[in-house]
Amino acid sequence: MKRMIIFCMLFFCSTMVLTETSPRRAKYRQILRKIEELESMVKEKDAELLYTPENFVDGCENTTVTCFKKGILKLQPARSQDTPKFTKAIRIVSRFTAKDKQCNATPPCESYEKKTPKNFLKGFENLIQMLFKN
Amino acid sequence: VYVPTSGLIPCLLLAGVECELYNEEYMTCMWGSREMPTVNYSLFYWYKNASNKGVECKRYLQDQGVRVGCYFEQNELIQFQSFHVLINASVGGKTLEIPSKRMLLQDLVKPAAPVNLTIRNMSNNQLQLTWASPYPNDQCLEHAVKYKSNKDTSWTLSVNGDVFSLPSVDYEKSYTFYVRSKINKFCGSTLFWSEWSLPVFWGSNSTSKGPPAGPPPLPWWCAVWGSVSPLLFPGTVEEQLYWFGIRTVLVPIASCLLLLVLVILLVRMERVWVILMPRIPNPSKNFDELFITHNGNFQEWAGVPKDVVESFKPNYSENICYVTELPPKDSHEPLWDSSNHAPPPMPGPPAAPNEHSPYWNSYGRV
Repeated sequence: MKRMIIFCMLFFCSTMVLTETSPRRAKYRQILRKIEELESMVKEKDAELLYTPENFVDGCENTTVTCFKKGILKLQPARSQDTPKFTKAIRIVSRFTAKDKQCNATPPCESYEKKTPKNFLKGFENLIQMLFKN
Repeated sequence: VYVPTSGLIPCLLLAGVECELYNEEYMTCMWGSREMPTVNYSLFYWYKNASNKGVECKRYLQDQGVRVGCYFEQNELIQFQSFHVLINASVGGKTLEIPSKRMLLQDLVKPAAPVNLTIRNMSNNQLQLTWASPYPNDQCLEHAVKYKSNKDTSWTLSVNGDVFSLPSVDYEKSYTFYVRSKINKFCGSTLFWSEWSLPVFWGSNSTSKGPPAGPPPLPWWCAVWGSVSPLLFPGTVEEQLYWFGIRTVLVPIASCLLLLVLVILLVRMERVWVILMPRIPNPSKNFDELFITHNGNFQEWAGVPKDVVESFKPNYSENICYVTELPPKDSHEPLWDSSNHAPPPMPGPPAAPNEHSPYWNSYGRV
């Protein structure tokens, strides 16, 4: 019985390995879908303007992602009935991290231009598209 | 030469500068046409964080001697950086500067049209259309197929992934297919579809390769896959990615949970074993009377009549017990009892094998 259980454990481990095809791109796809959802639900009227990084510095991707994640938390849904879906998407996006290849000097988040929530999300979309393409 | 007022030029350029990045190989930015006033135009461009502000276009595109566009080489193009263009219109010693708004080159990509369109006959009268794309990154493309038969009046448009399937075809008709591509939302927010590809034809009255002589015989697993694959890989790229996302998230999670359960099983085997394989219930309490009162004698407990019990007994043989009458006490002859006698041969089957037993015969042959 013990031997059978060990065999089953090894079997399931191997199936997990097989499903792990290009996880990086799958993650970017998921984040892009969530940003698209947020763009459709976000409140624009009387909403706070957010620092939106652009002209991303090569090698400092995670630092830029961190700036976006700070801004993401300030977004609000336009309709209250969208709150659960909105909160879930925010939670998924907040957990996303990228890798800094070699980051020498990045401008601080506050040095970027402030934009409306939808343009802020478009800026975030651009960053993830860059990561996906490369 | 008609010299327009200085106010007219900005009006004519309100249509804006239109840039297109062809297959990420080169870019053209057009700002005018033959109807433009005949003035001297020059284009300057820069990227927001570039050190040199305003590099002039190295190769202008001209229409009847008037500059109407600029051609950019691949090494002049940087994606994901703000791209700005400034048009200078010089007329009569005066120069007007007309800036354009900020552009992102990844949103201006127009891929090349698909090539090598191929049709294959699948099982169940199904056609499968495949193609190749000159664009280097397949993951960034989505495709649209338009087709019609010789009996249809309008085209049918379908947006999908890398392969297009037509579920049922009429062998009496001939079909024409076109494909075009676009950068999908994972690589840019583009609006440009590529040009339509060269067409491919299928069916009777067609010049395509291979006679339409009916579907070739296929192995059974191909038919099974043909019916199962639309369920596993439904139409659009988005649905494929959705299912891919589900699979990559749910399958590892389910496997992990199952793994955890198995680990717990291993550690706490005894307790789970008892739950999964419970103790076999013992109904002996219902049979106390049988085991205790009648000492396991089923016939007695069941109330079977004695003669029936006797009739079920197998042939029974026992040594004949010789009973002798004891002599009277005054004679001292030795006692004759069964212990001094050799037992007579038993009436039943002999205990030792003899010449007539089948076992001995077989032993003898060996």
